[in-house]
Amino acid sequence: MSFWTPELLAPAGSLEKLKVSVLYGADAVYLGGQKFGLRQAADNFTYEELAEGVEFAHSRGALVYVVLNSFLHDKDLVELPEFLALLSELKVDAVIVSDLGVISTIKKHSNLVIHLSTQASCLNVESAKLWQQMGAQRIVLGREVTIVEAGKIKEATGLEIEMFVHGSMCMAYSGNCVISNYTQGRDSNRGGCAHSCRFEYSIEFDGQSEEAKKAYFMSSKDLEGIRLLPEFIDAKIDSLKVEGRNKSHHYAGTISKVYSDALKYYRQHGHFLSSEMMTWEEELRKVSHRDYTTGSLSTYAGEDSIYNQREHDDNEFVVSGIVLEALRDHHLLVDVKSAFLPGDILEVMPFNGPTTKLRVDFLKTLSGVDLVKSKPGSVVKIPYLFGAEKFNLIRKAVRV
Amino acid sequence: MKLVTYIQTPAELESFLKAKTPGLDFEIIVGCDALSRYFKTTIDELLILINLAQKAHLPLVLEWDALYQEERFQKARAVIDHLPLHDFKAIRVQDPGAIHTMKTQFPWMKMQVILENGNHNLEGLKRWEEYLGEQCERLILSNELSKEMLKDYASELKTPIEIQAFGRILLFYAPRFLLSPLEKEEMKKSHYKEARGSSEESPHTGFPLIENQHGTFMFNVKDLSLLDHLKEIEQMGIDCVRVDLRFDHCFDNYLGPVIDLFSGVIAEISTEVKKLHPRPLIKGFYNINKTDVLFTKLKNKRTQRQDHNYVGEIVDVERDQQLALLIKTEVLKEGIPQALFMITPEGKEKTIALSWMKLSSKEEIKTAGKNDLVLIPFINGVTVKTQVYLIHQDRV
Repeated sequence: MSFWTPELLAPAGSLEKLKVSVLYGADAVYLGGQKFGLRQAADNFTYEELAEGVEFAHSRGALVYVVLNSFLHDKDLVELPEFLALLSELKVDAVIVSDLGVISTIKKHSNLVIHLSTQASCLNVESAKLWQQMGAQRIVLGREVTIVEAGKIKEATGLEIEMFVHGSMCMAYSGNCVISNYTQGRDSNRGGCAHSCRFEYSIEFDGQSEEAKKAYFMSSKDLEGIRLLPEFIDAKIDSLKVEGRNKSHHYAGTISKVYSDALKYYRQHGHFLSSEMMTWEEELRKVSHRDYTTGSLSTYAGEDSIYNQREHDDNEFVVSGIVLEALRDHHLLVDVKSAFLPGDILEVMPFNGPTTKLRVDFLKTLSGVDLVKSKPGSVVKIPYLFGAEKFNLIRKAVRV
Repeated sequence: MKLVTYIQTPAELESFLKAKTPGLDFEIIVGCDALSRYFKTTIDELLILINLAQKAHLPLVLEWDALYQEERFQKARAVIDHLPLHDFKAIRVQDPGAIHTMKTQFPWMKMQVILENGNHNLEGLKRWEEYLGEQCERLILSNELSKEMLKDYASELKTPIEIQAFGRILLFYAPRFLLSPLEKEEMKKSHYKEARGSSEESPHTGFPLIENQHGTFMFNVKDLSLLDHLKEIEQMGIDCVRVDLRFDHCFDNYLGPVIDLFSGVIAEISTEVKKLHPRPLIKGFYNINKTDVLFTKLKNKRTQRQDHNYVGEIVDVERDQQLALLIKTEVLKEGIPQALFMITPEGKEKTIALSWMKLSSKEEIKTAGKNDLVLIPFINGVTVKTQVYLIHQDRV
């Protein structure tokens, strides 16, 4: 017997990250083309990459959703029908949209399935009903909505409901922040967000003589919902989304693997009462993150959801590289992402099962010259590890 | 052109009545703290205000612009049921949930729909218009629209439109209470707090902040004023102009001059009055909106592949030995060419004669497929992330 679980939807900031997310267990990925999305600084996908990405995902049973969730201006809309035709041709599984003009254009020019983006801040039953009438088949709810409320929205509308389960959070209602527009001349709702909410501010209360207080008062902790998976399942939430198209391969792989392992466990056992829960949580702490919070998933986010700290790298692990080639009994070719040394103990993350330790007994260039240190942005040979495959992530502990 | 403004107290109502000139085309927005983002007025105070306004035959519009998760939405919905909706000429709504509620449960009541958040294209505005139908008496448009766009929309839309001409510019609306944690314990009793925020990481200082029962709001350090452009705005076909005097004692300083301006008594707001304003006044995006021009600088286009004739990317360079090329397409499946063309991340263009191609095991090959890692001859000046293409006729 197999128990029902929601879809796990992972970010794909690039073609390589798409492959990593899918191979590590994501049921679906979301990605952006060169225009119309909210991550102008991400690599994003060219047409050929998109075609390859869709083929790669579909051949492994994973779905592909394409973000078109900018608040587009008239001039941006002109090129949209052509892109919609390409997406239809590639048979992408849905598009993620926040702007009614975009929805209207999609309906005129294609039969693409429409998911309403979180950017539209759909927060209640009545709002969901409106967007349903506009043509949305799925609603990505605002991160301010609790799981219980989401369940009510699903029950009242019959719509597919998607909620964020993990990743960075906007402090503002999504789509309701234009700080970058006025202070940096970059439209945050067309992909130019400058993350001014992560700055430290000096706050002076009006009518109080007290000294100004310095705080990162607008910065949110990161969402982590692994402990709340039973609640998502009880509320029959259709899809659990992981934020992070701008994040690393390590992030895409680890988060996909952890949540997918947890959901797989539930499908087999019908519960999460597993000693593995501690391991899953530990794994989530190994990727770059701010302090975790459950945000508004259980109750509306409170004071303890504010990340009152400067952004800093305080990772337990860094990704050392990605396996490009595994030549059985000879070597692994590794695309180096951060430096490591001969003698280091690395961890190879297989697509299934626990990580395996690997000692760097040799470290060579492609032509066989011994190295004293690997250099990010190079390809090196290290010892072969049984079971290691192309696209496996290799990481190294940096803090114990 | 209609003047639309806010009144929060009986005293403000009295001041308005005194300043009002005969023939002034106007409309008053009222609200209460349970429904409106910034109103401090309680429901009981609102009921008093409605009563007074009715006696003076003032056209009143109820504002319901806060955003709500489901549980809070139900509470707001109960407030709506409690209010004498027939006493208002219309309700202005922003949350799509509020819009849908009014459309399905109060179809007799006129709506003014706030589309200030996004809605920067005519296609979408026309779709809103179509959906809302006759019940919608006005569309309230974003202050990120330039005059060129506004003029176009005014001529294309059937529904009258309104824009903001004066007041604070909202930058950020969060449901979380972000000021309370920073406040002294004894001040925490009040729901409503005002503050100013400055960051060394931003060139701007003194962002006005409000925290109330709806969450936290941050405004721009400069306020919007299009009061010097009213004639032009009217000529563009804009039907209503909103003047928000709720903050910074603006009601006292600006009400009289604004009414005189709209009544044609004066041609412009005097410099003396403008000087009383605590922050600089700007036109925002009224003249032009170029907030997408910097996007091209956010990433290096040269490290992005162009699809035509694309082969792959250089992933390793071993000086005087070889380059490692990760093949990303099937263009070498039938055989390898005599030369390849490359564009480095710095934009340098290189052509390389392909005397050999090998696998990492050093085995020489004559064809290569997608995802293969192959070695090719070294060439000076090529770095990792260099993009590799077949030589196209245009490039020879």
